[in-house]
Amino acid sequence: MLDVAWILVAAVCWIGASFLPFFTRVDDRWSQGLGLLGAAFAVVGAVRVLTGGTASQLDFLFWRGAARFEIDALSAAFLLPLHLVAGLGLVYGGEYWPLNLPKGSGRSLRLFYGLLVAAMTLLLVARHGLLFLLAWEIMALSAFILIGTDHENPEVRHASWVYLVCTHTGTAMLTAMVILLAHRSGGLLWVPLQAGNAQALDFWILGLACLGFGFKAGFLPLHFWLPAAHASAPSHVSAILSSVMLKMGIYGILRISGLFPAIPWGFGSALLALGALSAVYGVGNALAQRDYKRLLAYSSIENLGIIGMGVGLGLAGRAGHDPWLVALGFGGAIFHVWNHAIFKSLLFFGAGSILHATGTRDMEALGGLASRMPRTALLLFPAVLAVSALPPFNAFLSEWFLYRGIFASLSRGYPWSAGLALAALAFTGGLAAVAFAKFYGILFLGTSRSPAGEHAHDPTGTMLVPMAILVCLSLGTGLAGVLLLPSLDRVVAVIAPGSASLLARGLNADLRILVGAEALLLGCGFAAYLWWRRSTPSPEALSPPTWDCGYALPVRRAEYTGSSFSEAWAPLLPGLKYKVRRITANFPKPVAFRSEIRDLVGELFLGSRLERMAQRLLRFRSLQPGYLSLYILYVLLALLGAFLWMFLRGRLLG
Amino acid sequence: MSQSLIPTSIQWAVHLLTLLLLPPLLPGLINKVKALLAGRSGPPVLQLYYDLAKLSHKRALFSRTTTWVFLAGPIGTVAAGLVAGLLVPFGHTGTPLPFEGDVILFAYLFGLARFLTVLSALDTGSSFEGMGAAREVTFSALAEPALFLGFAALAKASSSLSLSTMLLGPGVGSGRIAGPLILVLVGWAIVFLAENARIPVDDPNTHLELTMIHEVMVLDHSGRPLALVLYGASLKLLVLGAMLMDPLLPRTTHAWQNWLVFYAGLGVLALAVGAVESMTARFRMTKVPQFLIAGILASAFAFLLLLV
Repeated sequence: MLDVAWILVAAVCWIGASFLPFFTRVDDRWSQGLGLLGAAFAVVGAVRVLTGGTASQLDFLFWRGAARFEIDALSAAFLLPLHLVAGLGLVYGGEYWPLNLPKGSGRSLRLFYGLLVAAMTLLLVARHGLLFLLAWEIMALSAFILIGTDHENPEVRHASWVYLVCTHTGTAMLTAMVILLAHRSGGLLWVPLQAGNAQALDFWILGLACLGFGFKAGFLPLHFWLPAAHASAPSHVSAILSSVMLKMGIYGILRISGLFPAIPWGFGSALLALGALSAVYGVGNALAQRDYKRLLAYSSIENLGIIGMGVGLGLAGRAGHDPWLVALGFGGAIFHVWNHAIFKSLLFFGAGSILHATGTRDMEALGGLASRMPRTALLLFPAVLAVSALPPFNAFLSEWFLYRGIFASLSRGYPWSAGLALAALAFTGGLAAVAFAKFYGILFLGTSRSPAGEHAHDPTGTMLVPMAILVCLSLGTGLAGVLLLPSLDRVVAVIAPGSASLLARGLNADLRILVGAEALLLGCGFAAYLWWRRSTPSPEALSPPTWDCGYALPVRRAEYTGSSFSEAWAPLLPGLKYKVRRITANFPKPVAFRSEIRDLVGELFLGSRLERMAQRLLRFRSLQPGYLSLYILYVLLALLGAFLWMFLRGRLLG
Repeated sequence: MSQSLIPTSIQWAVHLLTLLLLPPLLPGLINKVKALLAGRSGPPVLQLYYDLAKLSHKRALFSRTTTWVFLAGPIGTVAAGLVAGLLVPFGHTGTPLPFEGDVILFAYLFGLARFLTVLSALDTGSSFEGMGAAREVTFSALAEPALFLGFAALAKASSSLSLSTMLLGPGVGSGRIAGPLILVLVGWAIVFLAENARIPVDDPNTHLELTMIHEVMVLDHSGRPLALVLYGASLKLLVLGAMLMDPLLPRTTHAWQNWLVFYAGLGVLALAVGAVESMTARFRMTKVPQFLIAGILASAFAFLLLLV
């Protein structure tokens, strides 16, 4: 009861914080403070549940039916990153997108930011189909308006409309899922289901949940709305969309599958394979992008794919009654949810700082930012290591969980999907290194490639402090992962009822040595650094250019670019188009080279087909002439039709 | 583990000393073999030790484009190589830090070293080094699945995820494992040559920028950072060499014999690498991915053979 109250108060605080800026006399600090208070309440509640508190619930009547708010370890596992990122994003956004912009979008941004957080909070505690859908819809619409904040730009408008259509397609599937679930359990309240004999119904419910929630999580091939939407939103909004909102899809799949006493065969392996494909596809596209925010968005598809692999492993374990696999799969997935929330919001905050300082999202126009924005460069360095899953940062640990899960399933009879997943995970790691070496190397290292980055400077502390907190969390989680094992066990126990605390027992010793080895790594690095420090100092006056085999006067345009960096892999992508004129004459005119990358599913496959369909549907335009009276007639006819159906149904169907 | 007469602490001390002091000998041996096969007398076997001693007294020069990231490469390479060296067994002599799943840390440590080297190459702003960095990440992304599929095959064969059990457990002799193990070793030999920038993937001796992968990335290092780079590269040679050789080494009764077998194995490995380098030419850049994919296929076949 108490913990649910914390969470509900947090949601109310966020709503209050979103409306306060409309009272012009109130200082902005009050609104921010209220939001942070909400975040603090929710974090306290979530931490209490994760560290041993019991699940607490609040029953009430909703639409004359029983409804329930409940916080258990699974909800808490998602509430924690939500409010952490939302709170830090609120601080960051205060500087990044101030309230008093001439265009007036600052207030609407704050309003829908708060509503988005409150809606996700309610969604995570709702245990009632209709309440869940309601919160889901508020979340989706707030995100739509947030993505379109900069709506004067046609590209942003397009991205936000595509997002809106996709999210509603997903909602339609979820509505069907909720109806079927209500049919199965006999009420809208979400309580664990009894074992029934309606195999087909269970299959449909789970299938619809995977589709509808998969749309939100950006699984292949339902990912195409994601890159443009996340690149177009203001950066602190991109951070919360990418590192929290996508995970609502994962939450949904875990929550719904947790209601079932048994999981049909095949779901786990299918999700594992789908996650593996999404991961490779996402990272493959990420490395070819020129727009650094799009690169981050594609990397989110990769990471959600990795989380999906964990969920798939866990579901396969449930279907095969293998508790160790369940623990490793679900535990790894939840751990990666946390880790991805930490490093991806850090990366988006950093990308926002660059955008703020330079005004361009084109990587090829930048370069050498490490000397102009040294603090941002320092803070993003751990982030690119973390996102490439390198030790000693946090994402390495969650991938270590998943590798162990995959190896475990390898020896227990799910070899095909596990073999695929293993190769995919290793390949993804290699490609992520390409993508993020490019991200960091092209943006921060070398010299500037155009005048755009020459006057760049570090943002103020308001934007740097949230990033510094995330860096500490990333390294801290990487080095103190052992402490999280009991909490992960609690979450797994909710997802898969009846599993004992296997992670704490099974991984404790291994993880301790692993962390010791990581500490040793840092120690060796520090020792090598000290050894270097003790060398004869270089003369101060001598500051030569890069040696470069004697080529001492490079021009800016001759520097290695991001496109050339990823040139070896990018041509393998089906969406990449080169526009280059062949040189044929003896005295050729100047030639230009252009390459552009488009998404395979969204732009190449669906784009043209949808366009054609829209052309055909234009003929129905005549039904919509714009007279109000005609619309009222339509409503009347629809009602009459419904009455007739109700009246005649009994007779027609006997 | 063998019935050890020497207490564990001495084992560890020998392991640590081998790890710290032995690596620079390997490139010297390889170069000597190459020189002898080419009919030259070649540099002394201990040349790298002399080079390291000389470099550690030299002043380092830093380009004005570089930042602190430039140092991360050399330091990261050595740190990662040392920790990886503690995870891998040197013959049948035990590992200081064995745990279930250390094989993943082992692989990712090399990933870390590579990532930092690539960043420090990009930090110079030079196109040559950028090109080398791009090739390095490209080829290593192909080497990674070959390595992991080999691990998967051995994990399946030994039902363990710890390097010491995986590498030393199966043994070549035991019938069913022999075929897949040979395939894994073929795949890993390719990974070994690619990761250590040896012929036929890369040539450690050329100074033609356009033909180089790893060497071109460290063009701008000097003084102690260069010493760290060279030492780190030789560490990688030792550690990956140990991984490659372990399944082939026979088990003996005494610990000191195990060590002798390991050192002899290293000598044979250096001989083999030197012979390969003397007999083959470096591949054209476009053929390197095919070579690496051959490695993936070898490991994948080994894995499939163990599944059926």
